[in-house]
Amino acid sequence: MAEVNDFLRLFCAALLGLGAQTARVDRNAARIAGAFGCAVDLAVFPKHLMLSVTSLDGRERRTSVGSIDAGVPDFRKVAGLNALGWSIVDECLSLEEARRRFHAILCGQSYHPACVRLMAACANAAFCRLFEGDATAMALVFAATLGAFYLRQLLVRWRVDGKIVFFCCAFSASMLAAPGVLFHWGSTPQTALATSVLFLIPGIPLINAMLDIMDGHVLMGFSRMVQTSILIVCIALGLALTMALLGVNAL
Amino acid sequence: MTLLTAVAADGFFAAVAAMGFAVISNPPKKVLFTAGALAAVGHMVRFALLREDVGIASASLCAALLISLCSMPCARRWHIPAEMFVFPALLPMIPGMFAYKTILAIMQFLGAAAISLRQELLVDIVYNGLTAFFIMCALAIGAVLPLLAFHRESSLGRGIRKLWRRESGKG
Repeated sequence: MAEVNDFLRLFCAALLGLGAQTARVDRNAARIAGAFGCAVDLAVFPKHLMLSVTSLDGRERRTSVGSIDAGVPDFRKVAGLNALGWSIVDECLSLEEARRRFHAILCGQSYHPACVRLMAACANAAFCRLFEGDATAMALVFAATLGAFYLRQLLVRWRVDGKIVFFCCAFSASMLAAPGVLFHWGSTPQTALATSVLFLIPGIPLINAMLDIMDGHVLMGFSRMVQTSILIVCIALGLALTMALLGVNAL
Repeated sequence: MTLLTAVAADGFFAAVAAMGFAVISNPPKKVLFTAGALAAVGHMVRFALLREDVGIASASLCAALLISLCSMPCARRWHIPAEMFVFPALLPMIPGMFAYKTILAIMQFLGAAAISLRQELLVDIVYNGLTAFFIMCALAIGAVLPLLAFHRESSLGRGIRKLWRRESGKG
């Protein structure tokens, strides 16, 4: 029972930290606990979780509290952990094997940082086009995103606080797109400036927050909403600083 | 540019945007490409609806519903949660620009001296803020509604699967 409790605590904390919906974490925990002949009750808070594993006859109960280490959303790991939940049920995995696979999923592969940088730059340039930007604006946004995303990767590696990372990246991306406004390059330099910071918008946490609220996990939903709103304020501050330096009043 | 070309171009750029933004969240390759295709379909529908003067929140709702519905066969086929396909596909429709324009307008409002400028900024704050909020609500409702309605345990989902089995049994 204690081992099941430990495994479930690590499993749920990992899923929440990787950006899974609270309802999905709840379902996975119940599924895994059921496979080991237990029931589980889960209380999720913004930075911690508390879970109580009970034997089916209700005679034995173990409760523990764990910390959620919030990181960047990772779809590959969330999908892997979700599949592990099903494997534990379908293949009747032992706790030892489940633990081994859990650690293997967490050490899983990710895309090369240069590839991520390049794709994010292409994405932001395409986004600029969706906002009616011309080819010059797209080129400016591509270059600005490439530079600012590299800065973001560096700052994340140096473990700088997320809010400072977002402010610095928004400022650097908008400054890199600023020559368009200064030298009147192309017909839509303002669009380039406005869209240069859009790669920073935390879209996945925003959708997660809305879905959590709709699922009834209002506390988690609001917590995620407030955290993403703070990041959006940081982006706006970075952009506002550039606008103040350039003397631009509106976008 | 004809309407068809404009819609196709919108779909292409939406797919590039979705895949590029999604790659930051490290999705598996099949999820990445499927999400790109779903984003193209959804964004094309939204683009066409916007050209027909449908409101941006309603158009986003329709697009999100379509993306969510189309993601379900992929999720069933590859045994991956449908949200993994839906979330990246929704990324090009996230109202990021409306959100930060609201914050910028608030900051300008605090520094503005003239009443007329303040009134203009107040309209900007309310318009951008409400638009961002309603688009987010529309995206969330559109994403979650088909998943709830056709979920494996829901009665509608069970009914459809039963019908499907009966039809394939006849065939």
